[in-house]
Amino acid sequence: MRAYNQADVMAVAVARYLKGAVNCFHGVASTVPMVGILLSRRLYHPELIYLNITGGVDAHRFLPQVSTDGAELYRESKSCFDLSDIFDLAARGGLDVAFLSGGQVDGRGCVNNSVIGKFQKPKVKLPGGAGSAVLIPNCRRAFVWKSRHEPRGFVDEVDFITSQGNLAYVFTPLCVFKKMDGRLVLDALMPGVSLEEVEKRTGFQVIADWKREFLPIKEEELRALDEIDPGRVRDAEF
Amino acid sequence: MDKVRELPEMIERVKDGDCIAFGGNVLYRSPVRVAKELAKAGRRKLHLVKTAMAPEADILCACHCVSKVSAGFIGYETEFGLCGFYRKGVESGEVIAEEHACYSVITALRAAAYGVPFLPVRGFDGSDLPAAVGFLPVEDPYTRETLTAVRAIRPDFAFIHVQKADRFGNSRIEGPHYEDLIMARSPKALIITCEELVPDDYFGEERKADISEVLVDSVAVVKGCAAPGACEGYYEMDREALLRFKKMTEEQVFEVFCKGGGADEGL
Repeated sequence: MRAYNQADVMAVAVARYLKGAVNCFHGVASTVPMVGILLSRRLYHPELIYLNITGGVDAHRFLPQVSTDGAELYRESKSCFDLSDIFDLAARGGLDVAFLSGGQVDGRGCVNNSVIGKFQKPKVKLPGGAGSAVLIPNCRRAFVWKSRHEPRGFVDEVDFITSQGNLAYVFTPLCVFKKMDGRLVLDALMPGVSLEEVEKRTGFQVIADWKREFLPIKEEELRALDEIDPGRVRDAEF
Repeated sequence: MDKVRELPEMIERVKDGDCIAFGGNVLYRSPVRVAKELAKAGRRKLHLVKTAMAPEADILCACHCVSKVSAGFIGYETEFGLCGFYRKGVESGEVIAEEHACYSVITALRAAAYGVPFLPVRGFDGSDLPAAVGFLPVEDPYTRETLTAVRAIRPDFAFIHVQKADRFGNSRIEGPHYEDLIMARSPKALIITCEELVPDDYFGEERKADISEVLVDSVAVVKGCAAPGACEGYYEMDREALLRFKKMTEEQVFEVFCKGGGADEGL
């Protein structure tokens, strides 16, 4: 089996956690979720409905790009389900999984994509939450991912709450957090990662009442990943 | 009615302080050339609207043409990072970031399309955004449920770039529509820019237009309008031009787009 890196591990984690999902959506700048969704559809969940900003439904047989907003996600689609349709679907309770990222995530599961500092005169203006302020409350389960696991990204309390609500999991290169009773708790450690390392690189207190190591990465997962994403665009976020 | 005009004539009609919506999404079918021409014409205090935007906001902020941006996401995506000039504008206080969720931008445009002053939207529960940008709660008079009232945004102009249009304004969008079919119904004047002007018999029994002439004020043929972004079926993203642009200083951007008059240099 070949060596694998953080991008591989996160894509595999996303693919495995999508088992049983009804449908899923990712937005712009979402390379890891895109590859994870494609992997899940290939190995674990071929029935998973895959939605994205372009309006393409179940995009397949395309060469993934770093950008996750382009026409390749639309071209072979049998129908068109626009972004406005996806938001409407979420508002009426029909969107299962929405993938979102965040500049800061805190121990309560609040996500900040807006500002560092004060909103009116920010120290740093972040790009904005895209759909998150409506999707995290409206979807059934928000899957948040962050490709860097550092104390400044995982804080005790975010500077500004762009969104909160039905956050289910947070995926990082080190672990998966799960939201339970209003707190993020450790759900699984990525292969080879220690609890101490997660604690050292997390700004909030890590709750690990029970912990398990993520099941080993399988050779067939890596093989499928390399077929889906031969150009390794999934590495771009790291 | 023949609606074909030159782009500079359209830019002439835009006044300082106008609200401008741009079609497309981030680096796809975005009317970048329109932003360059607005910068060149020296427009000031523009209010920009789009769900997810990058080059238009960045160019216009670099040239100090913007007072407010209503959007859900301002950035180039992973490969080209954040919009540095927009960030600087917001961080210095020159530009007001009216941060939306993309859905509330869509809702604001829908309200304009429906001819109503606001529409309720579900979401924003527990978010600091409503208080920060002034979205007010509204109660359903029937069930007493509380929702968020999103005020209509009726742009003075919407610029939507398409692949093909006829001289009447009937327009064909190839590839993703993004929010353009809703946006097309929202403004006081919809300006279509197109790669290609098609003959009068192009639309008809065999194919209908995505955007009807009913909605269109004017049509301008602007080849390469979306560059350095992509335009499905016509050109790909120009990564090198984008990287060149990302390395430019604000002074250089201003020099190229506002003074030099060479709208195609640098980008």
